Amino acid sequence: MKIVVCIKQVPRRDDLLRINADKTWVDEASLSFEANESDTYALEEALRLKEKHGGEVVVATLGAADASKTIKEALAKGADRAIHMCDAPLVGLDAVATARSLAAAIGPESPDLIFTGLQSDDLGYGQTGVLLAEMLGLPHASIVIALETSEDGATVRAKRELENGWFQWVSMKTPALLTIQSGINKPRYASLKGIMGAKKKPVDMKTASDLGLGADALTSREAIGTLYIPVREKQTEMLEGDADTVAAALVSRLRDNGII
Amino acid sequence: MSRIEREELPFDIVFVGAGPASLAGALHLANLVKAHNASGGKLGEIEIAVIEKGAEVGAHGLSGAVMDPKALAELMPDFLERGCPVEAPVGEDAVMYLTGSSKFTLPITPPPLNNHGYYVVSLARLLRWMAPICEEAGVNVFPEFPGQSLLYDGDQVVGVRTGDKGIDKHGQPKENFEPGVDLLAKVVVLGEGPRGTLTKELTSRMNLDRRSDPQVYALGVKEIWELPDDRLAAGTVYHTLGFPHSSETFGGGFLYMMNDRLLDIGLVTGLDCQDPQIDPHHEFQRFKTHPWIAGLLDGGKMIGYGAKAIPEGGYYSIPRLHTGGALIVGDSGSLLNGQRLKGLHLAMKSGMLAAETIFDALVADDYSMDAMLRYSQKVKSSWIETELHEVRNFHQGFEKGRMAGVVTTGISFMTRGVFPQRLPIHAGHLRMKTLTEYYGRTDVKKYDMKFDGKLTFDKVTDVYHSGASHDEDQPCHLKVVDTTICTDRCTKEFGNPCERFCPAAVYEMVGAAEERRLQINFSNCVHCKTCDILDPYQIINWTPPEGGGGPNYKRM
Repeated sequence: MKIVVCIKQVPRRDDLLRINADKTWVDEASLSFEANESDTYALEEALRLKEKHGGEVVVATLGAADASKTIKEALAKGADRAIHMCDAPLVGLDAVATARSLAAAIGPESPDLIFTGLQSDDLGYGQTGVLLAEMLGLPHASIVIALETSEDGATVRAKRELENGWFQWVSMKTPALLTIQSGINKPRYASLKGIMGAKKKPVDMKTASDLGLGADALTSREAIGTLYIPVREKQTEMLEGDADTVAAALVSRLRDNGII
Repeated sequence: MSRIEREELPFDIVFVGAGPASLAGALHLANLVKAHNASGGKLGEIEIAVIEKGAEVGAHGLSGAVMDPKALAELMPDFLERGCPVEAPVGEDAVMYLTGSSKFTLPITPPPLNNHGYYVVSLARLLRWMAPICEEAGVNVFPEFPGQSLLYDGDQVVGVRTGDKGIDKHGQPKENFEPGVDLLAKVVVLGEGPRGTLTKELTSRMNLDRRSDPQVYALGVKEIWELPDDRLAAGTVYHTLGFPHSSETFGGGFLYMMNDRLLDIGLVTGLDCQDPQIDPHHEFQRFKTHPWIAGLLDGGKMIGYGAKAIPEGGYYSIPRLHTGGALIVGDSGSLLNGQRLKGLHLAMKSGMLAAETIFDALVADDYSMDAMLRYSQKVKSSWIETELHEVRNFHQGFEKGRMAGVVTTGISFMTRGVFPQRLPIHAGHLRMKTLTEYYGRTDVKKYDMKFDGKLTFDKVTDVYHSGASHDEDQPCHLKVVDTTICTDRCTKEFGNPCERFCPAAVYEMVGAAEERRLQINFSNCVHCKTCDILDPYQIINWTPPEGGGGPNYKRM
């Protein structure tokens, strides 16, 4: 069984965030980075399936050169090799362009399963995995909290988390894509021996042109205009007078504020 | 737990703690081996490992810091060209004496505090720069792996056991339990910083401090502030004496200006004062309320916090630095100049001397006590000895208070350290007096300051800014041998000083009357080691938590 796991490197959840000078993103110089939380569960799930079925786990990451830290950690935990899409045009894309890039790199691998985390801890689109499945023409299930595979690995049965304590079991044939929810398993630690061994595992570096992705394919449809910390504002104005006066005053306030 | 199967991983040399001493030592050793092999030597590949308890190299690195580049320039003459992240060369450099409301600038900066030619640096950044250089030279750097205990063959140190991972709070293995491994080594180098866990174990087992004075410590408590304008030029260095400390308390303040309008501000407080009520974090908050300091910080924002013990004992507190198969470097070995407030250059140099000793030992294939003795000899014949010997009575002078300390320091400077007799020194926990001895009563509350959340902060807010975190589902790493002492004796005798001396609000007495007990909020711990040092009954044992836990210093 060949499983590709998409892993994103994100700022550490408990880091103090500061907004950068041009107010378009957080100041990354003051942050530490780690693997996106739900991606680490996706990796663990893949490693367990490999232990059951044999085969190969491949990590796919889009990110700047320093994402190699997260890739090495995944290799240390037991992934066999990695594809690192590391190129300026491939950094900071929206969900569609990210999925397109991943599709270009993962498609030729023809994996049996593709796992992504449910969503990223930084941008939190929650769309990349689903878009990737559509682009590759694969069935998918999102928010997976339990997973069963048939003996021959030809079908998977996934438990999805719905709202309000409801769950859903879905079955599908492989190849398929699943977006994995945090908590599905208990991710392992990287062992010292694993870390030593990871140095010798292949990391395939890809640029946009290696993947045949031109500027059109990589145009983000959305961009962050301004980033700011929510300002807590509360204003109370008491309208005085009898009912008619108050009603008239209220209507005029609502008009002034463009609400009606 | 049943017996654990542990893997043995053979290395040649293991450094414990990825601080300046270990990283400089590991790099120097890798360079020596490479040069030897290139000129036809027979050593071949030497596997060097550096293990580190922090989540990444530098995460636990805290210093002032003003760096004397002496050692780094020996290790890497082109360190600036190679992108060493110095903040700025030291520019304006002054020493102030503070009273409660005013300041007096010393007309001349005392020679030991003259910092021209040095650099303001962030140790956390410096280490993050050094680690990849070590890795390029072939050194294995392993963050998230604390040294749990030493491995012996008789009295010869033969390796390090790393900490277990994935143990729950009841001590039971979790589903992802990952046992620590035994790293076998010909030589283990202990660069754990002040009050190292393994250093403490080795010192006691091998009596390494038999001929040395007890170590005394101070606690450095520090914040990083982002200033709203360029009111201080990068490279500005101020040291202060006086306020907020009483005249009997050892210590002083520092303000070092980094780049990006970031100011290091901190206060060093002796962990050997007699007052059982002393709270170094609180003293630091008071320090910032001085009008001059409050003015400098006005409109700024606190963005980082940290604390760390400093070995102040100096020359006479240096233990034997070697034993069969092990060497002690940097702060772990008391190699810090308390008078110049500097240790980075001494740490790096000691690491390099350890590397040279190990290189010779590898060539001779001899790691015995006699072979390791060469390290102590190299330290003795290096500038480390010259520098520390001259200030050998610095801290001792302060045992009698600030005035005596300043006078002793003056004499010491003029005579290059010569005194009619060697001055005595006492471990901090033994100098602490009981409430009755010190105050004549037990219902004492020394501090009543309210923190405003703008200029002054409580411990919990500060700890949040240290980035400290630990997996809560693990055994508490602060081992208190007997907590009945806390309620039965300590409350009466010392008033539970752990609640105050800990700068991270880890220790808390909770409950009333019969229910009163010690609660340990271990997740707050910033790994400063003060509790292990200052607890008057010496019943707190600081042990490393699961690898990756602790503060996350970025610019400290």
